[in-house]
Amino acid sequence: MVRKIAFNLFAWSIVLVVAFPLFWMLVTSVKPQFELFRRPPTVLPETWTFEHYWKLLSETNFLGYFWNSVILSTTTTIVVVAIATLGSYSLVRFRYRGRESLAFLVLFTYLLPSVVLILPLYLMLVQLGLSNTITSLVIAYTTFALPYALWLLRSFMAGIPEDLESAALVDGASRLGAFWDVILPQLLPGIISTALFTFILSWNEYLYALVLVNSDEARPLTTGVMNMLISSFNIEWSLLMAASVMMSVPLIVVFAFLQSYLTRGFGAGGVKG
Amino acid sequence: MADVVLSNVNKKFGTFSAVENLNLDIQQGEFISLLGPSGCGKTTTLRMLAGLEFPTSGEIRIGDRVVNDVAPGDRDIAMVFQSYALYPHMSVGQNIAYPLKKRRVPKAERGEMVAKTAEMLQLTPLLNRKPKELSGGQQQRVALGRALVRDPKVFLFDEPLSNLDAKLRGYMRAELIELHQRLGRTMVYVTHDQLEAMTMSDRIAVMEGGKLQQFAPPQEVYRAPANRFVASFIGTPGMNIVDGELREENGRWLFEAEGLSVDAGHLGPDARPGPAAMGIRPEGLDIGAGPITGTVQLVEQTGHENITVVRLAGDLRMTGRTAPDQIWKTGAPVQFSIDATQAHFFAEGPTGKRLNREDPAVEAQAANHATLKEAIS
Repeated sequence: MVRKIAFNLFAWSIVLVVAFPLFWMLVTSVKPQFELFRRPPTVLPETWTFEHYWKLLSETNFLGYFWNSVILSTTTTIVVVAIATLGSYSLVRFRYRGRESLAFLVLFTYLLPSVVLILPLYLMLVQLGLSNTITSLVIAYTTFALPYALWLLRSFMAGIPEDLESAALVDGASRLGAFWDVILPQLLPGIISTALFTFILSWNEYLYALVLVNSDEARPLTTGVMNMLISSFNIEWSLLMAASVMMSVPLIVVFAFLQSYLTRGFGAGGVKG
Repeated sequence: MADVVLSNVNKKFGTFSAVENLNLDIQQGEFISLLGPSGCGKTTTLRMLAGLEFPTSGEIRIGDRVVNDVAPGDRDIAMVFQSYALYPHMSVGQNIAYPLKKRRVPKAERGEMVAKTAEMLQLTPLLNRKPKELSGGQQQRVALGRALVRDPKVFLFDEPLSNLDAKLRGYMRAELIELHQRLGRTMVYVTHDQLEAMTMSDRIAVMEGGKLQQFAPPQEVYRAPANRFVASFIGTPGMNIVDGELREENGRWLFEAEGLSVDAGHLGPDARPGPAAMGIRPEGLDIGAGPITGTVQLVEQTGHENITVVRLAGDLRMTGRTAPDQIWKTGAPVQFSIDATQAHFFAEGPTGKRLNREDPAVEAQAANHATLKEAIS
């Protein structure tokens, strides 16, 4: 009994430590400016206000950044999932020389720190005339999301019995038809978790966005909000917190709906079959 | 008319040769089993027939077409897989309708054909279920339904019964035989279970190491195995095989092993003096009386007979069948004899050829055999 209580206390204290910043973010975003730095601080605001949200939406470029982030993350997700699905199919189903080494080679980017990769990538993108575009970020994010996505989907793909595809072929489907009718529906949990992983990664990415994009037209939320609200002289705390809340909401909603797929996906490599 | 013909078919995976120089002529309407241990190339052969693997060399014909380069879906074949390979996200009805859908059969007609097939296999109440909600036997019937629904020219079966329990397996075996009789279609059946092959097939192709060992009716495979491998693979309990030496004496051949000497009579021109093997089925042993002495090692009572294992000098073991009331204690001395007319003699080596016997007594014995299916089941 004592052990159980102790365990619960321990678990709840961890939850508290993790959840407190989120709570504080939410609370700060609805406090009026004059209440922000009061001592002692108020836990719940005495007066509730949504003025920071309103200001963010009407007076700043927040919606522009938000839109950029949506386009950027969605495009990256589509590109990564499409390539990883076909790539993992090839790695699992076809027999060719260097198949295994290829699968390991794609992981090579993870062995190098991003800082080392970012400069050559920047120079290449400049040469391609893509600097300061959302496309440049899509390419950059694809380079580091794709290897992981490929491995994740590979383990899912390996779990799909080859007989299913053979049966579809004998039943009269073309290879592409069998892929569409039989493989894809089986792969759906894997595709969902890969898509989630990629979306979250691109939504939260900061370093590449900072280096590769330097104009407001293409800036995503992460760097956009920083640029707008944090200067050397002042940090707009209330606006920053309101922006943070609005940045998190899409992810929290999506995650809540699909989290069972996500956890299943991360466990996929561990348990075979 | 030959319906399915494989001519000099070879299949290599890298340097590994899965099927070597295979020649098979399957007649229209015949039920053929490809029988052999794991890795003997039987499934590879079936997959080549299905178009799921491509032969490295050689020619495969179905009907009057060379199908080497024909896609599986265009070969007019249907296949039942060991794992059933039902599409998990489709209902039973959708599973059965899938091959029709892929062949652009109009929807109304499709529904009719599915309903008819489902009724024949007693699947009608299950049409809206998903495969994972079915028992193994039901899944197997759905897989069969998916193959039956479009009335293909050739049916291919890849160990379809091996995931069922023994009772259901016996039932499905009878169902398949009946189905074959009713449809009159060519069927190629892969199995490692000799009982299935013996009971269902018109002819059995015994394979080992990628090579065809014998292609003959079940009786012949049992009675006149082409070589030592076929002899030892077919039959339960297996044939007793004794390594020894052949010796010629005044035109007659004599087989000698430690503690044993058997008159082989007249052997064909392939016989050579020297190392050889003798094979004798358990029913060729008469335990209880005879000139040979051994000790009883084990008596297995199966109900309608006993399987008795006798140990001879030199640690040689021989298995015989005895009446259910003939029970010896383990370790008891026992006399027995070997019916030389039922013995086979093989050239040296694991796939040593069977040597022809040219004795009238042996031929008479072979003609006078009892029903074999009883003997092996």
